[in-house]
Amino acid sequence: MSINIIFFIIRRIINAFVTLLLLIIIVFIMIHVIAPNPLALARLYTGPHATYSELEQVAKEYGLDKPLYVQIVNYIINVLHGNFGIDPVYKVPVIDLIGKYLPRTLELVIPATILSVIIGLVTGAIAASNRNNPIDYLVRGVYLVTWASPPFFVATILQLVIAYYLRLLPPTGTVNPTLSPPKSITPFPLVNAMITGNWPYFFSLLHHMVLPTVAIALVTFGIITRIARASMLDYMESDFARLSFMKGLSRRRVVYGVVLRNASIPLVTLIALLFGYSVAGAVVIEDVFQYHGMGYFITQAIEGLDYTSILGTTLIVGISIIIANLIADILYGILDPRVRIIE
Amino acid sequence: MLKALIRDKAGLFGLIIVLAFLIWSLIQGILEILSVNLRKPYLGYLLLPHNPFKYDLSLAFHPPSQQFLLGTNAEGEDILSRILYALPRDAFVALIVVFSAIIIGGILGILSGYLGGIVDEVIMRITDAFLSLPALILVIAITVPLKATFFATILGLAVVWWPTYARFYRAQTLRIKNMDYISAAKLSEVSKLQLFYRYIFLNSIDPILAYVALDFGNVILTYSTLAFLGIGITPPIPELGEMAANGLSGLPQYWWWAVFPGLTILIIVIGFVLVGDRLQDIIAGRITY
Repeated sequence: MSINIIFFIIRRIINAFVTLLLLIIIVFIMIHVIAPNPLALARLYTGPHATYSELEQVAKEYGLDKPLYVQIVNYIINVLHGNFGIDPVYKVPVIDLIGKYLPRTLELVIPATILSVIIGLVTGAIAASNRNNPIDYLVRGVYLVTWASPPFFVATILQLVIAYYLRLLPPTGTVNPTLSPPKSITPFPLVNAMITGNWPYFFSLLHHMVLPTVAIALVTFGIITRIARASMLDYMESDFARLSFMKGLSRRRVVYGVVLRNASIPLVTLIALLFGYSVAGAVVIEDVFQYHGMGYFITQAIEGLDYTSILGTTLIVGISIIIANLIADILYGILDPRVRIIE
Repeated sequence: MLKALIRDKAGLFGLIIVLAFLIWSLIQGILEILSVNLRKPYLGYLLLPHNPFKYDLSLAFHPPSQQFLLGTNAEGEDILSRILYALPRDAFVALIVVFSAIIIGGILGILSGYLGGIVDEVIMRITDAFLSLPALILVIAITVPLKATFFATILGLAVVWWPTYARFYRAQTLRIKNMDYISAAKLSEVSKLQLFYRYIFLNSIDPILAYVALDFGNVILTYSTLAFLGIGITPPIPELGEMAANGLSGLPQYWWWAVFPGLTILIIVIGFVLVGDRLQDIIAGRITY
């Protein structure tokens, strides 16, 4: 690896860290605008039904009566240690609850992101190679509709048609509740079931995952299609595409081999964005399928106006998206050397 | 510009949807405000086929028919009337949020681009931090401690919606700040405020128009999604996302309850996307006018 690339990576990491600190500070400022005094702050951690003495105790315990600059440093240290406070309903640390629900959501979001990229690239390539004829219009029509629909609408239609009318997949739930769960070795239920060889549980999980995953991918693929199509149209005009045609390669080889490969490099940075969209989409889509992941956790927190959990979730989601961005940036730098020089 | 928009079939289709939505929202919105202020409830549903709040269990789960075009819900309330009653709020939210985003983003972006240096660095880092999270999650984080009321939702959306505009205005300012007409303005000692507002801000409105049209759709999508999750609802006032969420309990037999509110949002957002796309083509010069 050249020294150039190492500098590039280090700069990206510093950048990501600064963004992360700013995110924490923004959340911190938001809390302090909402709750200007120590007792009001304490109420955010305890929930609305705490007594006066409980509030005072929490205020002391969290150092909420200290000057702002002490609090902000404490807060950043706490967050970096994964200490987001205690959930007022379950009386366990918020990080434990997130640790339970987030892996289930990731099990949906990661395959959904991959699926979304595949659908997006294929449809983008099809649209680009059939520019301005009915197939192009059809693809653009489809992504327009999926992109413009609220995530819950796509999920509802899928549930109605595939689960209720065609009875191909279960309409709601995470897993068949009559099956006994495998021992939790990792936070990921799917991985656990695989390691322990609990195949009925594994397939039941998969069975329940299909619809939410497809729903998430359907809501998000439009952005990939749109950009893949535009970027492929640009590349079709390029010298290397023309050269490939002149060399006598078939149109199919040029479009799917040469052009698509080159046009997909800039899409790498989009994957992080897509991941963010997918997480946001998953929150709502899980709700429709009553899938017990972060969506379930967030809806519960909204109903109980449970601020501690919401904040913890915001920070965790923020951190995972910043990491996704960092990975995408570095990958892009490795795949396309021009990026390292321009920076 | 309007001519080119109308000449295109998709553009015309989008424009009709958008205009129908906005005009209906204006008329129905005024009637709703009057009905509350004059304490005359019937004004609120003067133009609607049925009273959207009429609780009648004998009419519950009426499928779509001539009497109830989109069916009724579990309380026997007419779904079409409830959708029409809910629309003005979506238009109101979209207008307020997009305009506040243009103003906040405009001020920060122009300052950032014009002053450069440390100011630019700080503002752009903050912008990046906001953009690193999906708007939906940030709005939830802001509204929940404010008890998830309607106004908290508008505030939350306004707080998170400006970063794209800040980036846009920064790029725009960087592009035009060394142009001759800006130098001429500086020489003739135009005040800084005038320079920022009349020479930079107003001159950037045209290219942003297409994005604004798209963004109206984005706000409506996010707002309805928030309502679906139970944020920003003032019972008994109906909300499209909230209706869709309640309707889930009626699946699969009473599908119309969940499907039609979602479909309404889809149609409105498609209208804004089509108009935005077409405007983009026109501004980029791909279609002449």
